[in-house]
Amino acid sequence: MTQQLNLLRGALLLVILVISANSFAQIPQNGVSQSKAPYYALTNARIFVSPTETLEKATILIKGTTIEKVGKRVSIPKNAVEIDCEGLTIMPSFIELSSDIGVQKAVAKKGNGRPQLESLKPGSYYWNESIHPEIDASQGYAPNEKANKSYLDAGFGFAFTHQKDGVAQGQGALVSLAKSNLYKPTLNMGAGSYFSLSKGVSRQTYPSSQMGSIALLRQAFYDAQWYKSNEQTERNLSLEALNSQWDQASIFYTKDKWEILRAAKIAKEFDRSFAYVGSGDEYGITEELKALSSTIILPINFPKAYDVTDPYVARQIPLSDLKQWEMAAYNPSILVENGIPICITMEGHKTSKEFWAHLRKAVEHGLSSSEALKALTLNPAKLIGADDKIGSLESGKLASFTIYSSNPLEDASTEMIETWSLGERKIVKTYERPELAGKYSLLIGERRLPLKIDSKSPGKFSGSISPNGDEDSDSKIKVKLIVEQNDVTIQFGINDSIWKGSVNLRGKINHRLKIFEGDGMTPTGEWVKWHAVQTEKGKSVKDKEKKPFKTDSLAVAWFPNMAYGFDSIPESQPILFSNVTIWTNGIEGIVKKGFVLAENGKITYAGTRKPNTPRETIEIDGTGKHLTSGIIDEHSHIAISKGVNEGGQAISAEVSIGHVVHPDDINIYRQLSGGVTAAQLLHGSANPVGGQSALIKLKWGHTPEEMLIDDAPKFIKFALGENVKQSNWGSYATIRFPQTRMGVEQVYYDGFDRARAYQQEKASNPNYRVDLELEVLNEILNEERFISCHSYVQSEINMLMHVADSLGFRINTFTHILEGYKVADKMAAHGAGGSTFSDWWAYKYEVNDAIPYNAKMMHDQGVVVAINSDDAEMGRRLNQEAAKAVKYGGMDEEDAWKMVTLNPAKLLHLDNRMGSVEVGKDADLVLWTAHPLSIMAKVDYTVIDGVILFDSERDSELYQRNQAEKARIIAKMLNANAAGNKKDFVKKKKGHYHCNTIGEEGSTEENQH
Amino acid sequence: MEKKVQPKKINIKMKHIIIFFAFVSSVAFAQEPSRILLSGGNLHVGNGEVFESAAIGIEDGKITFIKNAFAFTLKESDWDTIIDVTGKEIYPGFVAPNSTLGLTEIDAVKATRDYRETGIYNPHVRSQIAFNVESKVMSTVRSNGVLLTQATPRGGIISGSSAVMTTNGWNWEDATVQKDDGIHLNWPSSMQGGGWWAEPAPKTKNKKYGERKQAIVEFFEMAKAYTQENNPEKKDLRLEAMRGCFDGTKRVYIHADELQELADVIEFSKALGLAYPVIVGGYDAHLITDLLKDSKIPVMVVRPHSLPENEEDAVDHAYRLPSLLKAGGVKFCIQNEGDMEAMNARNLPFLAGTAMAYGLSEEDAVSAITLWSCEIMGIDKSYGSVEKGKSATLFVSEGNALDMMTNQMVLGVVNGELISPSNFQQDLMEKYSKKYTK
Repeated sequence: MTQQLNLLRGALLLVILVISANSFAQIPQNGVSQSKAPYYALTNARIFVSPTETLEKATILIKGTTIEKVGKRVSIPKNAVEIDCEGLTIMPSFIELSSDIGVQKAVAKKGNGRPQLESLKPGSYYWNESIHPEIDASQGYAPNEKANKSYLDAGFGFAFTHQKDGVAQGQGALVSLAKSNLYKPTLNMGAGSYFSLSKGVSRQTYPSSQMGSIALLRQAFYDAQWYKSNEQTERNLSLEALNSQWDQASIFYTKDKWEILRAAKIAKEFDRSFAYVGSGDEYGITEELKALSSTIILPINFPKAYDVTDPYVARQIPLSDLKQWEMAAYNPSILVENGIPICITMEGHKTSKEFWAHLRKAVEHGLSSSEALKALTLNPAKLIGADDKIGSLESGKLASFTIYSSNPLEDASTEMIETWSLGERKIVKTYERPELAGKYSLLIGERRLPLKIDSKSPGKFSGSISPNGDEDSDSKIKVKLIVEQNDVTIQFGINDSIWKGSVNLRGKINHRLKIFEGDGMTPTGEWVKWHAVQTEKGKSVKDKEKKPFKTDSLAVAWFPNMAYGFDSIPESQPILFSNVTIWTNGIEGIVKKGFVLAENGKITYAGTRKPNTPRETIEIDGTGKHLTSGIIDEHSHIAISKGVNEGGQAISAEVSIGHVVHPDDINIYRQLSGGVTAAQLLHGSANPVGGQSALIKLKWGHTPEEMLIDDAPKFIKFALGENVKQSNWGSYATIRFPQTRMGVEQVYYDGFDRARAYQQEKASNPNYRVDLELEVLNEILNEERFISCHSYVQSEINMLMHVADSLGFRINTFTHILEGYKVADKMAAHGAGGSTFSDWWAYKYEVNDAIPYNAKMMHDQGVVVAINSDDAEMGRRLNQEAAKAVKYGGMDEEDAWKMVTLNPAKLLHLDNRMGSVEVGKDADLVLWTAHPLSIMAKVDYTVIDGVILFDSERDSELYQRNQAEKARIIAKMLNANAAGNKKDFVKKKKGHYHCNTIGEEGSTEENQH
Repeated sequence: MEKKVQPKKINIKMKHIIIFFAFVSSVAFAQEPSRILLSGGNLHVGNGEVFESAAIGIEDGKITFIKNAFAFTLKESDWDTIIDVTGKEIYPGFVAPNSTLGLTEIDAVKATRDYRETGIYNPHVRSQIAFNVESKVMSTVRSNGVLLTQATPRGGIISGSSAVMTTNGWNWEDATVQKDDGIHLNWPSSMQGGGWWAEPAPKTKNKKYGERKQAIVEFFEMAKAYTQENNPEKKDLRLEAMRGCFDGTKRVYIHADELQELADVIEFSKALGLAYPVIVGGYDAHLITDLLKDSKIPVMVVRPHSLPENEEDAVDHAYRLPSLLKAGGVKFCIQNEGDMEAMNARNLPFLAGTAMAYGLSEEDAVSAITLWSCEIMGIDKSYGSVEKGKSATLFVSEGNALDMMTNQMVLGVVNGELISPSNFQQDLMEKYSKKYTK
């Protein structure tokens, strides 16, 4: 043994251990080493060898820690301990992949309230505290018996535990959960590391947003690649860890379905494949998941029904929450039906009872029990590369399994009988064969009484006797019946002509013959012999009918799965608008009694004669109405997930709103109702160089990728003034450079100097370190990326144009630009456009000189002027805002209209395909009930790429449908409430992003823009 | 500048001399005319009526008559000033109730914010004396026809007493229309929580709702008892300020939105015998129109330019709310509380305009920001419509003042005084226009 021990020590890091019967014998023992049977043979069992193979009346032979043999005809060695498992079910131990069990939780360090810009972690680690792949769960693992117990109770034998914190979280460790004196809990098999898009406990300012987390992880991956391919003077343990984990399982925590798609983009960029810990709403993206073919680890802590007994509260519950409640239990089965591999995690459950209830619920909602088993055993084993040892019960694998009284996936009354962990047996409960149920003839002394024993669940019995001797008689007396292994106690009270009082019997059971016998006391105080013989077999628990699948044909997901979602995504169909006043925005100007035909997403005709149309054309009569191209919002912050600002650093060019587009924002639909068809989703204004923009079409019900405009020009947000110098961030935010307008200028010069140096490095060194931030700054220098700059006062506007001129690029757009009227001539000379508010001002000091004549005055100087929203409410009535240019300054109506259509298209370099009603352009059209600049104008239809996405008539129907759907689900919930299933409704505060919103949550406070 | 900015068609005769309108905008009248005749405009009275061609006589600040301009025989010597407004629209001064206008200047600069006093029950805190008539913001609001505002404090449970003010004056004293017109009670939310803006905590059913309600009831009961004695031994500032709530000299403006809250507010108002309760907000008010109508509680309705509260609410909920209340027979007016409300008060006409697009008739939309507002605030005897005997507080617009394209105030009158339709923003525009025409 010593020899082996030494060998083990020497080989620990180099060899994958072949686990043999002896390989755990590393613990010196007191006295003679502990005795253990050489073999165990569990016979006559129903064995779930693997998810696809079940053997009846089979034997599993165990030697040491390992399964020697399994099968129907296994020859049992003489020296084996035989355990009869007649009627029992053996299942492989489950494997948990989403747990930090036994690993210390990361704790936030105490801060002083001031921003922490640099990492405070000493040692050779990555510069950002959210990247700590070097944390290895095996080093800190200490079994937490209480926590382990709930897993063991639920049938889990293994957990791949890890610290859950940060973006690169670290290495997982496979542990055996059962307590053992024979071996250490951490197993030398399975490998994988964990990631997330959440910063965790780090107090470092960067990243402060989800897009920042994405950029950070990408940069770390690039750094790891560079580290590997270059000779290094200094070591970096974090990068070494990332490299050593590169080809292992990489498991990504996600908080909603869109995060999976975001992380998958990173995987693709680095030619890697991730698995994902899901959140329960993945049924909404099955098509995308199919394409990924990644494993999804599913939580099944299905949402509890809200307490809806108070209708005032019930009406506050958003439809999306109700729909998720209804759909959640279908999630596992829908994924499996679509061929997406899943694992199931117990995370989110406190007790095994809750877990099993939910697991069975998933099965009732269509998940087959073999798929459920696979998701708990083989799939997780495969994912971490441990399926040669765990995950099924084939010979050579570890003898870790659970014995149940019946198939636990199908029978709610099943009981756990034994758990086996690496060949170590633990008896959970003595098995009481339910076959005891039946009719008996009970003889107490001389008196014969018919006895009936029922068993509702294994090991639990109830009985009754008929005192008059007639077993069909109605007069029955309840009998207390306790069975413990082979002992039985029977007790009942009786009051008749023979006995008055209590009868107490105690005896042994012969299970095979179904005979009880023993001694007892009668009410007369007489000590008598008794016995009972089975006369008729009772119904076995197993004979119970299988529950049918709980499918509700009304429970279907919408796109998106919330109010105003589509039943199915509408298809493109030719549309003809006829007899309508067309605001062409082209040389024809306003055309009366016109016709516009949209086919395959494009405008194919616009003119005054009725064109020939395909048969399936939808014709919309526009008599008395006005047709325009869709409104384009140059400055919007809707449809963004988890942070509009990456304010952690003064320059965050590496982050992109395009990475965090959020299609489930109801404001998309609301903007559609106001005729908006496209928008630039801008990064906020927290820093001089913000992040990259997302140019989207407002395709309600579509995925982020579908919303992003194909081949859109690249844009980035810059910002100046109060927000970037943190004027209104409180008295602690005085550390980050810049704090003055003077500093802002220097941030730009420094950034672009570094970018130029990087460009030279790239040209000369093939092994250069990729720098995502400088890559983007270079795109600006090379005029491959346009700037939209948040700006207010003329001094800073002037400054930035000087910076750009001196570096040889152009500021494409000044957005807000409230003092643009003071420098409109300079802007025109520089070639900058202006995208402004119609009339906002007075919300902070730097907008004190803002005037509503701004748009007109810039326009008059030849600046391309757009009017934007920066606000989800105003965004849906930009037509009114454009009309204000007529009021303030007397702008020509067509010019005013162009400020929300053609001009933003020009500023976004999309005017070759959007912004006017002309043949060849995208069919992004809006039909207005009146002159679009008039206060009376309402939207009848909004069309994007030839598809009607808003229809005012349908909108009213949807409103009714939403209410009906709500009522239907609430009724369902009331039933659940009646069954005692309820929790208080928690209303989420819905914030809206503005330019100055810091952190991942939207602002609900006073807007400062 | 452009033709629409300065309508040159208006002729003004001052002391029998015809002058161009532009003169009015740049000249302060050395001697205020006390007898003014407006002749020829299309008058929206404010009470639903329209005079197609009206002659309006103004004397000593009051309207002395409304006549048909065609039938009216002009005797020039009777008037200091005669203004021909033919082809233009005449409206009563628009009213912005429930606003911090005049109490704040630059939202982000604390030193300029004067609307939120510390403390929970502040009925004694009075907005009237903090009202800044020289507010630059106010000058831009005035130019769009908003001539009256209810300067309203914020915060706490009882924020303080509001005052109805004109948006033009030399000081708060002469700008006052009605001092301490009512107290503002912020009804507790039936839903609770939220955290602060960067780290919002989830909102939950407010478990303390009952308790908070009870505290308000107790305060009002105490106040009611106190006010039974006209000359209490020990004077209590706070409770003295409550006196008017029970004797009918003060409104109680109760800010509440959600259904549960509204039902409770109605019950509370009855139980406490409040003389003039008013609901401010009333997001869910359309669901209980019968109840509101029967209990005669008016609503200052939530800003029509607001997003729906819940995802399944009608997208145009706030646009339509005024017409829903009208159809339900509820007395209401439009107000503008919310994001950047002081600056945004100049868009009040377009809030009414939007309500018009979504179901209100044009004249009802006008009433919703004029007469009905004044009725609710209890100043309709003198303000809110252009009628004989009322204060001459009105304005003339080039076109429909509820529409952005045509709202163009060319002439404003507050309490019989001509006011400048210009403001510093126009001055800046003119200043920088010169830069480009050099």
